[in-house]
Amino acid sequence: MTRRRAVALGILAILVVLVARYFVWVDVGARCVIGIRPSLVGYDNSTVKRALETLRNGSPEDYRKVCVHVGSINPNPSCGGFGGGCFWHGQNARGRASIDVSTEHGLIWTVAIVVHETCHAIQSHEGRPPGFDYEDECYNEDHRIMRALVQFE
Amino acid sequence: MKRWGLIAVVVLLVAWGWLRAFAWFDPLSACRIHIDVELLEGDRGAIRSAIDVVRREDPLVYRALCRWVDRIQEERQCDAGDPQADRRVRGGAGIPLDVLDPAIRRAREAPGCYVRGSRVIVLRRPPDGGGGPALVRERAEALKRLAGYSQAFWIDHGR
Repeated sequence: MTRRRAVALGILAILVVLVARYFVWVDVGARCVIGIRPSLVGYDNSTVKRALETLRNGSPEDYRKVCVHVGSINPNPSCGGFGGGCFWHGQNARGRASIDVSTEHGLIWTVAIVVHETCHAIQSHEGRPPGFDYEDECYNEDHRIMRALVQFE
Repeated sequence: MKRWGLIAVVVLLVAWGWLRAFAWFDPLSACRIHIDVELLEGDRGAIRSAIDVVRREDPLVYRALCRWVDRIQEERQCDAGDPQADRRVRGGAGIPLDVLDPAIRRAREAPGCYVRGSRVIVLRRPPDGGGGPALVRERAEALKRLAGYSQAFWIDHGR
């Protein structure tokens, strides 16, 4: 192997590790791959990964829904200010959705927002009728997951 | 040889500083717990003091803390529910939390909470920014209790 080739392979390996570390969630056992966009606000993507890990262990059913309905997560506050998340209803209803999830308020809220936006993705994929109250159902979902996972007494 | 020794010492010092800077680091107990605090308001020292109290007072619980908790986050409060699940709150009505769900208020007043499915403990930031021995004691007791929750979850999860 020439020196140049060795350097190229080394750089490629570093790139692969960095992409795997920061920009993608891979769970081979559950056949779940979710892209995570680069975060511009300092809070690195590890909070999103930690939220997915928490869901996988704490609520496997919710985790399965995320894997089925969500293809990528954008942790940048492109909508909903710094505190919330967004699902764009104009998305292609057939493909796995892209959701915006703020990580600003820590792990608990990141988990809740992932579940809330996944609920919107499910609504979209199920083709809920016009006029359907989209928010009520999803706020109840994030409330439910917070009640289930947060243990304080 | 002398040069390599010097380099090794520098590397060790940097590694030690790195491992300790953002965490509780106790190499003798093979214990490292990452501590996340707010950049401007946070105080890792107060959390380290609380962990130290646990270490001195209750070695068994300290071992559980090291084994089953890998991160302590200081947050404004623990949220055990979303008040916005109630339509009236989304509509802008100021409704007491107890009317919505008493658990939400109790969680917000609790010194800390454990997030099931993770190895993360959340500690509430002191509301008035205050500290002192009372805060350290409160947090030490919370850490003891919450480490037990994490241990119970993971032991149960492994079955």
